Amino acid sequence: MEPITTEILVLGAGPGGYAAAFYAADKGKQVTLVEQNPRLGGICLNVGCIPSKALLHATEILRESKASAARGIVLGAPKIDLEQLRRWKTGILDKLGQGIKTLAEHRKVQVIHGRGHFEDSQTLRVETSKGQKFVRYEKAIIAVGSKPALPNAFDLGNPRVMTSTGALEIPDIPENLLVVGGGYIGMELGTVYAALGSNVVVLEALPAILAGVDADLARPVMRAAQKAFKEIRLNTKVLKMATAGKQIKVTIEMDKQPRDEIYDRVLVSVGRIPNLADLGLENTKVTKDDKGFIHCNSQQQTEDPNIYAIGDVNGGALLAHRATREGRIAVEAILGEPSAFENIVIPAVVYTDPEVAWCGLTEAEAKEKNIGIKVAKFLWGASGRALTLDHPDGLTKLIIEPETERILGVGVVGAGAGELISEGVLAVEMAATARDIAESVHPHPTLSETFMEAAESFYGTATHTLSRRNES
Amino acid sequence: MDVKLPQLAEGVEGGTVVSIMVTEGQAIEKDQPFMELETQKAVGSIPAPSAGVVTKIHVKQGMEVNVGQTLISIEAAASDTPAAAPAVQAAPSAAANPNQPPTPTGEQSHSSAQAQHAAPVDDFRYQSASGMPPPASPAIRKIARDLDLDLTRVRGSESGGRINMADLRAYVRKLQDLAVQNPAPAASVAVPSSASRPTEPIDFAKWGPIRREKMSPLRRTVSRRMVESWTTIPKINQFADADITALLALRKKHSPVYEKRDTHLTLTSFLLFILGRALKKHPRANASLDEASLEIVYKDYCHIGVAVDSEGGLIVPVLRDADKKNLFELAVDLLALTEKSRQRKISIEELQGGSFTISNQGSLGGGYFTPIIYAPQVAILGVGQGQAKPVAVDGKIAIRTILPLCLAYDHRVLDGADAVRFLKDIIAGLEAFAEADIKLK
Repeated sequence: MEPITTEILVLGAGPGGYAAAFYAADKGKQVTLVEQNPRLGGICLNVGCIPSKALLHATEILRESKASAARGIVLGAPKIDLEQLRRWKTGILDKLGQGIKTLAEHRKVQVIHGRGHFEDSQTLRVETSKGQKFVRYEKAIIAVGSKPALPNAFDLGNPRVMTSTGALEIPDIPENLLVVGGGYIGMELGTVYAALGSNVVVLEALPAILAGVDADLARPVMRAAQKAFKEIRLNTKVLKMATAGKQIKVTIEMDKQPRDEIYDRVLVSVGRIPNLADLGLENTKVTKDDKGFIHCNSQQQTEDPNIYAIGDVNGGALLAHRATREGRIAVEAILGEPSAFENIVIPAVVYTDPEVAWCGLTEAEAKEKNIGIKVAKFLWGASGRALTLDHPDGLTKLIIEPETERILGVGVVGAGAGELISEGVLAVEMAATARDIAESVHPHPTLSETFMEAAESFYGTATHTLSRRNES
Repeated sequence: MDVKLPQLAEGVEGGTVVSIMVTEGQAIEKDQPFMELETQKAVGSIPAPSAGVVTKIHVKQGMEVNVGQTLISIEAAASDTPAAAPAVQAAPSAAANPNQPPTPTGEQSHSSAQAQHAAPVDDFRYQSASGMPPPASPAIRKIARDLDLDLTRVRGSESGGRINMADLRAYVRKLQDLAVQNPAPAASVAVPSSASRPTEPIDFAKWGPIRREKMSPLRRTVSRRMVESWTTIPKINQFADADITALLALRKKHSPVYEKRDTHLTLTSFLLFILGRALKKHPRANASLDEASLEIVYKDYCHIGVAVDSEGGLIVPVLRDADKKNLFELAVDLLALTEKSRQRKISIEELQGGSFTISNQGSLGGGYFTPIIYAPQVAILGVGQGQAKPVAVDGKIAIRTILPLCLAYDHRVLDGADAVRFLKDIIAGLEAFAEADIKLK
């Protein structure tokens, strides 16, 4: 059989892969995109960012309606139609997936649906529904992403033990849901299920939820979750799980004593692993690090000069927008353009209630690396907009280089933090100083003012806070 | 608090720990030196940023340490000062020798505002205490990447030192002007320095037993600087003799008074006195060449470097304001500087900013020699040992003490006539030294 030949092969059509494929096509390259899922878009679109945010948005009204009574607007008990909720969610995914397909067609990117396997450094075998196909390429970009980890001890083959993929399907509303792992995925999906009416218990092995997030940013999330969830237990481990009729018996280690508890469903959100098994990498020169992620240079090139890797398969922050950026870098590198990953910040957003977002240097990182910084904070309790939104529990903070007043990092917790952080990203990438932000007029009344006021507080002149200088 | 290695001087990224002068548990005063560090430039001591008790020593003797690395921890005695070591921010000093790679030796580093303004292609290196890349927008960084420009070399003019398009354009413009107007230096860049010249490995052991010794950072710097000077400066060596018979007699007469005051009346002190005055009269010999702006940088100050033979090798501490000091002050300062150099206690600042240099080999018995100019200085005076020689005085043979001198100078700045006039004034100063200038007031 005659192999298909292509200049650039992209394996995986997630936000990294399709962005790379489109960019390469825009640059005049002949591109083949291989994807095993019938719907393009990868994890982000199918079982990640998009469905989770759809569910968070849909259930927000449930959370809001509870708080609404205190504002004098009392709503009746909501009726939840799960089938319609799923249909609405799937509708979004189909629309976006179709959009990507159309964009691919217009760019003349050839899409092959099937599972890819590297035969050698220049050939990919694709198992399609119509049999094997071989693609001979000049350069390949691996963008196959990651999947939720499910430790063997929890893998009962019982659908009641779910990963995020299963939980996003909302098979039902379990009365009692155990979330194993208090990272961002567990906290976000816990928020969805709690709003739908589940009694959510979160177990976290570490002493805090949202590992890696500065403590002051995680605190409002913890406070809100303690109200919305049945319980959050820190420093707690799950020893084992077993099927118990239509429920799951979970053995938990608490105070060094094993204890059995019964849940209707369990969500395991303990991290993600790269989708690199059975990819045929052993037939190439691609190497992996000790955690199983692909090793590549700042131009995304692996040890195999013909193969590049982008996104989750490289480890680090498993974020769609990082993969997209890396995809463009890989293409530029293939085209021989000077390119390298040298963005200063990759912002991160956690869509809990309230949201947490940060970019650049965090306070914890500065401490760990022994970097001298100053932190300027603005508490949302003094923001008019936050109060009118009934979300006074927020904080905007700037991490500042003392000598130059340059903004090195920004952290926000509160309603809409995910949208607010972009100003922080711009500030850090543009090497803005606290003075630049303080001198920029921010519209009133908005939450974005908190950014300006935090900058002003660095100089002890924030309008709505008293600094020590004022008090003395 | 953790005391980190501060930015010692521009271009110095670290060094080797020569000695640690404190122990754990010991009380330490603010500014008390706690460690000696050998850098490419010199051996210098690191002062404690605050008083307290040394709780931990994080480094060992012989260890390589980098700027920002934690050296020791001090538990503050009373005041709780922020934990940053007295980090000197990228000092805006600018050596006016744009064709040479950065990392000037401590001996030479200009700080004249004029030179700074005129030469953006200078030794500037952006350094962030937080380890951040230079402050510039993504668009500027993209342009720099496309052009393969190193933004750490570009001075930003905006708040926080941010680099804008105008800064980048000015930088590129300077580079271009330099390349067009001055092709010779471009060629000299291509000349590999001794440090980087790949030579065929020679098996010296074939002819007998050998011993190999790593070049110390100081040795490596001296080596590189010498090659740079030799290959970039069109140099003239001007020889001369000075009759110092009378000067020696004066010295003998007044020396005991100086000794009583714990200092020595050395020939170098006389030379410093004479040169301080002569350089004022001949400012070109005290100048530097700014090749980027094609300007000659005249200095109102007169800081004279004195080559000192130390255990570690050549060190050139700089004696400040030689033109403004009297002979006694010069003798005192010179003694202090040479002592410090020999004890390896000289600070990097004390090696910088020289505008002229004396290399006196007299005490070692040297004769005539041709010294190498310390760029960006333009001249250096080599001095040998005074020898009793028969000379014609008033038509008769007399035995006089003759001092061999050699003025090496950069012909781009100094012409032969300039140099001869300058040298004649030095000789006149030596041959007719006024006794009034020796007497202690």
